[in-house]
Amino acid sequence: MNITEAFQENVIIVSLDGRFDANTSDAVEQFLRVRISESKFQFVLDMANVPYISSAGLRVILAVVKELRRDNKGDLRIANLQKTVAKVFEISGLNNVLGIFKNPDSAIQSFTD
Amino acid sequence: MKVKFWGVRGSIATPLTNIELNDKIKKALELALKAGLNAPWQTPQFIEQLPWYIRKTAGGDTTCVEVETGDNRLIFDAGTGIRPLGLNLMRQEIGKPIEASILLSHTHWDHICGLPFFVPAYIPNNNITIYGTHSKIEDRIRHQQDFEYFPVPLDIMRGIKEFVQLREGESFRIGDIEIDTISLYHPGGCTGYKVSYNGKTIIYATDSEYKELSPEPKPIIDFFRDADLVIFDAQYTMLENIEKEDWGHSSTIIGIDMALKAGVKKLAFTHHEPTYSDEKLWDIFQKAQNYLELQSEKNDLQLYLAYEGLSISL
Repeated sequence: MNITEAFQENVIIVSLDGRFDANTSDAVEQFLRVRISESKFQFVLDMANVPYISSAGLRVILAVVKELRRDNKGDLRIANLQKTVAKVFEISGLNNVLGIFKNPDSAIQSFTD
Repeated sequence: MKVKFWGVRGSIATPLTNIELNDKIKKALELALKAGLNAPWQTPQFIEQLPWYIRKTAGGDTTCVEVETGDNRLIFDAGTGIRPLGLNLMRQEIGKPIEASILLSHTHWDHICGLPFFVPAYIPNNNITIYGTHSKIEDRIRHQQDFEYFPVPLDIMRGIKEFVQLREGESFRIGDIEIDTISLYHPGGCTGYKVSYNGKTIIYATDSEYKELSPEPKPIIDFFRDADLVIFDAQYTMLENIEKEDWGHSSTIIGIDMALKAGVKKLAFTHHEPTYSDEKLWDIFQKAQNYLELQSEKNDLQLYLAYEGLSISL
């Protein structure tokens, strides 16, 4: 899993490249939690290059979102889901509780709407 | 080995309500009208073709699973499901002493409250042994029947011949069955059991939360390794599992990931959330099937939604 980031005003766009599963979820969680500890609370997770997600990946997303939404600190929003991964979000019900956007720009825009 | 589910509900017994029953009848009649049903001989086939959640119910009794081998009968947990199991044994074994080993995962109410209604335990000729890893296992069961809570004390249940105090992680034998135990993550602790007999393996692992599956093989994955059947706590949906962190339960999706990782052959979801209707349980199960297809195109993992009366032969 390759993790890169870009900044747009207060929003951090975190791009993942690779399978998001038990082997990689710890790295993603650690990356996000370091940024949260630095008082960064608005994230867009660009998953254009994530072909696969398992329960371990879903758990990290939900746990981070839960923490960010506590006391209305911020949020993590999802962009660029591949078809199979989007299906997993739908099956798990995550699509009902997360902000999911077609591309990072619309996800970033949603923080100012 | 033959496995039979007598109680599949978690937390508290949940009988089907009249509203739920009426809803099933209404849906069945609407489908009958649509199918143009007009003769009694058509009904058995019509019923068979109804969706599972209309023609069946998961049931409302709390956890109890029976495993029969050639010579031994194991009973996992003594939730309210042990009551009908006991009545069935009394019918089957008329005049013959009943031998059974009750293995308790833990002593939360939904796993022990059926024991005072387990009729074979009252027959002195029977030979029932109760196993558990939790401290003072006999006292815990005894106090459930203190006079303040139940009119009949444990001493009257003369079919219960022995309590076996196990240690966490202990392996032991019952006849020619090998049994291993593992500690599970649940408030107050819970024990998972692995039953090995005649080249087949069954895991009973209810009431457990699996927060993470890290890259290193965790003990629980090794415990599940190559099992023929894993009976798995899937009380919550994935979402609820996160909301109810540390409540000590799991979901179908996590179970599938673990089973795939461990090379499990059959996976039965049980310990159903008491607020879930049959329709919701069926929906969760269909989604679990979809998830399995998406996660792995080539696998032989078979999924089961546990319901009262479900039998699986290995």
